[in-house]
Amino acid sequence: MSSALDRQVRPIYDALDTGSNKSAIVTCNKILKKQPKNELVKALKALALVRSQKVEESLVLCDEVLAAKPTDDGVLTAMMHVLRGLGRHRDTVVMFEDAFKKEPTNEDLGAQTFLSNVRAGHWKSAQQIATKLYKTFQEDRYLYWSVMSAVLQANDMSTSIAMRPVLYQLANRLISSSPTPSFHSADRFHLHLSILRELKLYDEAMKLLDSEIGIHICQSSLVCNEMRRDIYRLKGLLIEEGKKAEILITEKKDRNWLEFLSVIDATFSTVDSDKDATIAECSRVKDLFTGIMENDGKRDRSGLLALLELEKRCRQYGLPTDSTRMVDLIQQYFEKIGDKACCFEDLLPYVHLAGDDLSRWTSFLQSVPSTVTTTNELQRSTNSHKLLRHNLAQSDLTIEAELSRATLYTKQYLEGLQLGKDLPTTELQPADDLAILAGHAFISLWVLSNDEKYLLNAVSLLEFASSKSKQSFRIRLMLIRLYRILGAPSPALEHYRAMRIKQIQNDTLSHFLFSRSSMFSLAPSGDLTLMSEYVEASQIYINNSQDTPEFIVRAFTSEKYSQIPEFISFENRLECSLQRDISKLEHTRMRLAFEPVSVDIIDMELIESKFIFDREHFDNRDYKVMPNYQPRIQQTLNEQTLLFGKSEGLGWLWSFLKLYVRAFQHGSDLDETVEEKLLIGDRPKHIPNAHHCPLKERLHQRSEEELLELTPHELTYIRYADVLADWLEPHHDYVRPPPAVVLAEAAKQTELKTGHPLKGIELPVLDGISNGHKKDEEAPPVTEAPAELTTFFDDMKARFEKVKEQSSPTEALAVACLMQEALILFMLETLRFKQASVVKIHKLGNLVASFKAIRTHALAAVRDVSAQLVKMSENEGTVEQRKIIVDSCAEVTMSELDHDFVLNVAKKLSDARKKVLEGYGKGMLRVCTLYAN
Amino acid sequence: MSVLRSFKATDMFTFNNINLDIWTETYNVGFYLSYLSRWPDLCCVQESPNGRQMGYVIGKAEGSNTEWHGHVTAISVAPEYRRLSLARKMMTLLEMVSDNIYRGYFVDLYVRCTNNVAIELYEGLGYSVYRRVREYYGNLGVGKGGRDEEDAFDMRKPLSRDPGRRSVRTNGRDMLVSAHDVP
Repeated sequence: MSSALDRQVRPIYDALDTGSNKSAIVTCNKILKKQPKNELVKALKALALVRSQKVEESLVLCDEVLAAKPTDDGVLTAMMHVLRGLGRHRDTVVMFEDAFKKEPTNEDLGAQTFLSNVRAGHWKSAQQIATKLYKTFQEDRYLYWSVMSAVLQANDMSTSIAMRPVLYQLANRLISSSPTPSFHSADRFHLHLSILRELKLYDEAMKLLDSEIGIHICQSSLVCNEMRRDIYRLKGLLIEEGKKAEILITEKKDRNWLEFLSVIDATFSTVDSDKDATIAECSRVKDLFTGIMENDGKRDRSGLLALLELEKRCRQYGLPTDSTRMVDLIQQYFEKIGDKACCFEDLLPYVHLAGDDLSRWTSFLQSVPSTVTTTNELQRSTNSHKLLRHNLAQSDLTIEAELSRATLYTKQYLEGLQLGKDLPTTELQPADDLAILAGHAFISLWVLSNDEKYLLNAVSLLEFASSKSKQSFRIRLMLIRLYRILGAPSPALEHYRAMRIKQIQNDTLSHFLFSRSSMFSLAPSGDLTLMSEYVEASQIYINNSQDTPEFIVRAFTSEKYSQIPEFISFENRLECSLQRDISKLEHTRMRLAFEPVSVDIIDMELIESKFIFDREHFDNRDYKVMPNYQPRIQQTLNEQTLLFGKSEGLGWLWSFLKLYVRAFQHGSDLDETVEEKLLIGDRPKHIPNAHHCPLKERLHQRSEEELLELTPHELTYIRYADVLADWLEPHHDYVRPPPAVVLAEAAKQTELKTGHPLKGIELPVLDGISNGHKKDEEAPPVTEAPAELTTFFDDMKARFEKVKEQSSPTEALAVACLMQEALILFMLETLRFKQASVVKIHKLGNLVASFKAIRTHALAAVRDVSAQLVKMSENEGTVEQRKIIVDSCAEVTMSELDHDFVLNVAKKLSDARKKVLEGYGKGMLRVCTLYAN
Repeated sequence: MSVLRSFKATDMFTFNNINLDIWTETYNVGFYLSYLSRWPDLCCVQESPNGRQMGYVIGKAEGSNTEWHGHVTAISVAPEYRRLSLARKMMTLLEMVSDNIYRGYFVDLYVRCTNNVAIELYEGLGYSVYRRVREYYGNLGVGKGGRDEEDAFDMRKPLSRDPGRRSVRTNGRDMLVSAHDVP
């Protein structure tokens, strides 16, 4: 670049860096006046335009620059950002490939071309370019790039199963041809081993592993050692692995649990062929572990836990063993580790006892003193409660018995608080788990009796515990679930926010907030809280698609091959996250209630929901973060506290998605061919052969399995929606203007907006078809409106009458929400027929006339329910209502947890119910007004 | 007693029981990926026998000449797994890799001047205060500790490449530097 030009463009870069896109555009225009052909300035202007959301204008410039096939580094870099902003990753690849073809000796350009293929996930061409780079520039790293690319191509979902071994063989040939051996670096070594493992060339792998340098690498590289362990196991070398592990344990004092497992696996590896030998080996290993246990004392619990695991396996394989030994060991473990929080979790795999064992263990636990004067005692007592609770039988789970447990836990909790009273607010209280246990018992009581007062007790106690231990996220998670069940979404949101959920947690934990959240959305009455929470949370997916590929590139440039498959899997799991699309769907449902349905919304939602429809989803939702101390014969706490006892899975998503994709397709003029032409940016990668039948057929399929994930109310709504869609589909398909007409209109709009014609579209002559009439097809007959469309509203209203008596408004809101949604869906499905010209040309007068009766009926029902919700809200937030709640909480109102505290909880709960009932009711009324005509 | 294994990108999906703790920051995805794409061997996880994450350490290698060293960027253990010497084991691994693979002169880490439990732990492992960094941490709003709350000790432990222990000093607590002067 000449220094004069450099001086001229510097301000543009500065403006772009500081986000002043406007001033960047102004500067670009100034230079372009004098030098209209300056590619760099054009590229920078395109970038500034993309960043100011002026996509159409940017496209024009972008294509001009691309057509000139640039090779200048600055232009290429700017264009890379432009194309990324437009989602045109494939064009980036082509641009670099063209540039590299022009300058095949430019190494940097070659590497950039390779990396652009990496960003786009084009492993096949990446592999070819890397091979070419290696041939031309003779750098080892290019060879390894090509090896890695071949492996990634093999692992790609779009590669056929038959091709996979071929690609691995290619990778093996390439890596074997390397002039420097793979043990040059741990990551190259790891890559080599992974190829040999895949090809089952274990002997070759062993040769590498058993070499001096191989042993050395595995000693200091965890990833390589994990690979080594795996290869030994696959090769069946359990005994050798056991010996190695034993040396590590005894000589190097290694306490990695994996080593202990290796010793135990080795012990039982001959159990089928030589039982006597196994018995002898067992007793030797027992002595070994006993020695370690005695030696380590309290410093490390591996020895004792290994003895437990050994005993468990002995029993599994039916080897002779002392009948009392298992319980002896468990008790010994409790004696020693009982004052640590992890004791319960450590012992879980070993306490599934029965008969005499169980009664011995139970009476042992019952004899643990229930005093909580020291932290150690407190922890022991807590552990004994958890372990006792875990093994409770059905006969132990009566109301009386659970109630006395709840009271015991609560009393001990309040006593135990004394131990932590001087701790700073940033510390957890040592007694927290007792409050959590009491919460469990109250929830179990609710499950047993269906009496809401137990949930109120749980909330009061947990709110108190949360006020004493502000950092306990486990208490907050329980409260979030309980408030949602109790129909009080705003305190649930408060607790959610207090946990400072951010970044990746917006994917793994947002189910606590967004699960079935449209029933709590007050958007139509002007409160956009939930919708904006969604927008904020979904930012993580944008970050993922923008940032993660850059780190895959970095891992290539720093040759950390062991990380690359993991990064790709991470990116893919986040991109195709089930939670992402479940909350997206909830957002769509909220949005439809908030904005009047229009063609713009329909078109946009159609494209987005179709992308979702073709994804292979991954469930990243973290449920394990919820505590669970419920008896093992009961459901887990997580299952017990899901709204309506059901978690939305793939079946739920498909059920609703099919409904909405169909409805949006009906309402939209964008059929497949139009969409193809108008869409800017790449489509998501498709997996060939994953779906055998066409979209339209798949949309019509409803499977029992999917529908099982719905609540009864949701199921009724889906049935209604299907009837509605089936009834109107033929008319939509007939009336929809042909693609040519739609494209012509789009072209006209674009030209009006940008002054440039729409690129890449050749418009056919439109004479004769401009009115959209398909002359060669017969119009479908107009049929009578299905009765289900009106009876749905009657049915749902009847259900509402029934559930509104419940003190928690949650189910009433769920029914009301679906009624409102059904009304909106009806408006969406009939939007096309609002145009008088369409009705006239196609003689649809009779069809449209039948809409009115349905709409009037639906509006009346929704209005009625909305008025009732507002009425219900008037009963909340009152002195009487608070008193009812306070009186229900008698079980926990004691000592520090006094009447005043409970009264505050009651106020918070009842006010929140009032807010949601009133807001939802008024919102429904607004929706009705919107569609009254 | 726990499984010591490498930190993987997908561990981000399951580290909530560690990261929801107030003392542990959840960084953006790029933070973890940038460490893993450069120093994967300085990042590891402790896992319980039934597969729950108990804690992790994230480290890097940096500095030039005799300042070349291993650095502990983040070390965290979930509340229910504290006092089980997990941090000690992860530190041992990080020191071993910094020594054998990176051939660093020392390992260093930053700790709040108020965090006596941690300081004692690190001293027990052979670390000593090299300097005090002013206003290194943002205020958590707890306030009780005053200045100590925001200042950090930079603690160091020499590795085998520094047999003369030139990377440490005895009067480190008195050496004050500002946060701008440290990397």
